[in-house]
This record gives sequence, C-alpha cells and structure tokens, in this order.
Amino acid sequence: MSATDPLPSAPHTVQEFVHGYEEEHRLRGFRCPNCGLTTATWALACPHCGKADLEEATLSDRGAVVAFTVLSVPGDEFLNDAPYAYVVVELDGGGRITGWMPSVKSESDLTIGTRVRFSPSYKPGVQFVKDEGDAPAR
Amino acid sequence: MREAWVIGAASNRFGKMPETGREAATRVALEAIRQSGLEPKDIGYTFVSNCFGLTEKQGHVGPLINGGLGIPEVPSCTIESACSSSSAALHEAFVHVAGGFTDAALVVGVEKLSHLDTLTATSYFAEAADYAFETKNGATFPGLYATLANAYQKAYPMAPEVLGSVAIKNHANAARNPHAQFQKEISMDTYLRSPMIASPLRLYDCCPFSDGAAAVVVAAKEFVRHPVTEPLVIRASARSGSITEMQDRPDLLGLPATRTAAEKAFRQAGMEPKEIDFLEVHDCFTIAELFALEDLGFLPRGTAGRAEVEGVTARDGKLPVNPSGGLKAKGHPVSATGASQVVEIFEQFNGLAKGREVPRTETALAHNVGATGGSCSVHIFSRR
Repeated sequence: MSATDPLPSAPHTVQEFVHGYEEEHRLRGFRCPNCGLTTATWALACPHCGKADLEEATLSDRGAVVAFTVLSVPGDEFLNDAPYAYVVVELDGGGRITGWMPSVKSESDLTIGTRVRFSPSYKPGVQFVKDEGDAPAR
Repeated sequence: MREAWVIGAASNRFGKMPETGREAATRVALEAIRQSGLEPKDIGYTFVSNCFGLTEKQGHVGPLINGGLGIPEVPSCTIESACSSSSAALHEAFVHVAGGFTDAALVVGVEKLSHLDTLTATSYFAEAADYAFETKNGATFPGLYATLANAYQKAYPMAPEVLGSVAIKNHANAARNPHAQFQKEISMDTYLRSPMIASPLRLYDCCPFSDGAAAVVVAAKEFVRHPVTEPLVIRASARSGSITEMQDRPDLLGLPATRTAAEKAFRQAGMEPKEIDFLEVHDCFTIAELFALEDLGFLPRGTAGRAEVEGVTARDGKLPVNPSGGLKAKGHPVSATGASQVVEIFEQFNGLAKGREVPRTETALAHNVGATGGSCSVHIFSRR
C-alpha cells in the first residue's frame, strides 16, 4: 500500500465471510490482480505483495487435504463433536482454507491428498466431507 | 547504541500459585532487582506482560507492581504478544536502555490460569489464533501445532518415539530445575501410553497450563560499573512476524517468523549458529522444538528429530537445548515464559543451575514464539 493509493473500500467484512459459509453456503475469498494470490482470509491489502487492490472471489468448494489433525480434545464450540478432523484444504483453482470434518473419527480415516468437498450444515464454521465424486480435469 | 546487560533475573516455581498474579510479579521483580545490586529507585521503566490478567479482573498491572516496589512514579506499560509477550517486553527494555532513554529497566512477566477450569483456559489459549478463520473452524492451540506436525511428518516420516525423545529429555532437565512445574522424569512407555490430544500429539507432547512469574533487570553497561553478578551481554534482540493464518502459509514445515527473527539476530550479533553454546527454545509442543532447531539455522530441515534421538540436544550433548526443561516440563505461564528463558540462561552463566549445568556457557540463545508463529523473538547473549 503506498501513500498515494486511495484507501481500499472493503468489499466485505469478516462477518460476511462467516455469513458466506453458514448462510449462503459459499466460500468467499479474494484474488489479487497484481500478484495472482488467492486467499480465503479477510484483508485490505494482499498479504503476499501488499497491493491494496483485492477483488472479491467465490472460491471452489472442492479441493484436497494438505495437512490435518484429528482432535480428541475439542474446541469449546465443538464439545459434542469430538473426535473430528481439522483440515487445511488446497482448493481447486487456488486458495487454501481451513475447516473441520465431523465424519473423520481417527487418523486412519484420512490421508494428505484426500479429495474433499465443502458441505455446509447447521454447524458453525467451514465443514468438509470426503468428495467421492470425480477429480476435476487438470 | 549502548551495550545493554541483563544483571538480575528471578522466577518463582511454575505450576500453581496461591497468590494473585500481581503479588507474584511484584515478588519476583524485587528478587531480580536485589540480585542485580540495584535499588528499585534505579529502575527507569517497567515493562509488564500479563496476557490473561483480565481473568483475574485486573488490567493495568504495571502501576500496581511499581507501587508495590515503592516506585509508583516510575512509568510502566503492558506488552502483549501472546506466548512471546515477555520476550517482546525484554526487547522494549533493550531498546530503551541501548537507545539511551533509560539506564535500567525492569521486565516482568506473569500469568495465573489455575483459577480457570481446563475448558475455559483452552478457550483463552485459542484466542491467540484467528478466531474467525481458525478457531471457528474447529482449531484448538494443540490442534494447530498438530496440523503442522502432520505436514512435517508427511515430508519427513518419523516414528512416535522421535517426539517422545523431546518430551523425555525436557522432563529429565526439569527434574533438576527448582522452578519447574514437573520435577519428574518420564519413560518412553509413559509417553507412548499417554492419550492422544490432537494427532499426532499426545498429552506428553503438550506444555501444561501453568501459573508463574519471572523478572529480568536490564541496565546499560556504563550505568552498572561494578556488577555483582555475571551479566549477560545482550548481543542481539530481534523480533519478527508472519501471517498468522495457516491457510495463508505456503510452507507448513516450520515457522517463518523464527527464520526471519533468527536471521536478524545473527546479523545483529555478528555471530553464527555454531558459536552458540546452548539454547532455550519455544517448545510449547514437542514438534515446536524440532521446528526451532531447524528454523533458527542450527540443523538442516528434516534432521532435528534424529539429533534429538541421538542425544545431541541433551544437557551434556553437543548442543544442549532447554536445560530448564522448556515450556514442555518447566511449564508455560504464557506471559512469564520469555523472561523465564532468560532466567535459565542467567542461572547457567552464574553457576546457579545446580545439577543441570551445561558444559559451555560463553554464549546462549533464547527463542520465544507468539501463538503459532505470528510473532517471534530471538535474543543472543554472551559473557562480557
């Protein structure tokens, strides 16, 4: 961000991201036209190149697990859901997002690279299920 | 820039404090000042860290500590940087003293959590992550480090015994540290049988919830003149940051803020890793000790596990790591941790680390991380 840039008008708020997951059932994000970064995290300027020119984007609801853990001791909003997996997902078409998978009950239920699909429910946050469909054409 | 020294350092026993945070902080502060040979009136500025003070219904604790030390007119402020709070406070003290704004500064870190139940304490810890983009998606503090451990394990496969060896080593060191919360050794069997918290991290991979307080006195060399202790010369005081959210980190095999803070610190000190005699590193979880050794530049990526198993990092090893017992076994009273790492280095330099001495104490490094690496401090010390 340089002093001469106009102050960016925030295309949306953190709450709108959350609303996107839980009510609109879509993964909101930003793309940076300057460096090409896609991010699922709210920001005013690109965390990679610093340019305050982020464009709104709807990210793919499918991707592959990059890293995960299975929690036996849950967060306090997930008390009745443990064990569950917390996952970092590389979305098709770019961008990474973290979420949780209630169906994964043990470490052997999941591997890095497993295909997953965003599957919103009445529960909070970004919820994924295993994607049994075809992998996208590359 | 003036040369700045650590001339006094004190800690209480970590674990469960009967008194309030404010009382414990004032007590260790007075102890550190007395040890330094200064008087409270010599202190020009007090930097306090107390992340969770509000759980005791107490904010703005600096003036209370100064009042309790008989120096209510001395300025103070609170420095918050999650688990790296009191190393951030030490950095501020260094800047004031080295920059010539203050001749002597007091750093105090204190935390009390034992009045909270485990679930409430876990929630407070998770607050250092990104609530909207991590915690709300199911993350806990152990869960975030476990996710990093999972990525590391995929790149560098390792048996459970590798992380176990970190826990066993740090417990063995803590067993000889009167400040430590867990003054007992553990066996590999105990480690392996401990319950899984967030795979692959078991109970014995995780630091405990702790109460504790630690204080450090920093003064300008020209102000001290005739030190009564063996001072730690602050050769480098460096801090760095990185994107907090795991979803925006292209590399999950370590903590980028450690790498950048270490580069700055070694450049500032004009030193290389091979010149460091021993380390106090941020092992909030066993995997974090492996990250620290690699990100600080002591070992190539993917090799820290083998070094741990082979005893390189043991107290009498080639590169002793966490002779205090580390966060893992000495305990992790969040805001006291950074200062307590300096207490260990001070005790090692001054022959006060009875029964847990490391072989060489000419130089040392302290590494303190905020949460999952959004913040990091690296300090390098040497003898005069």
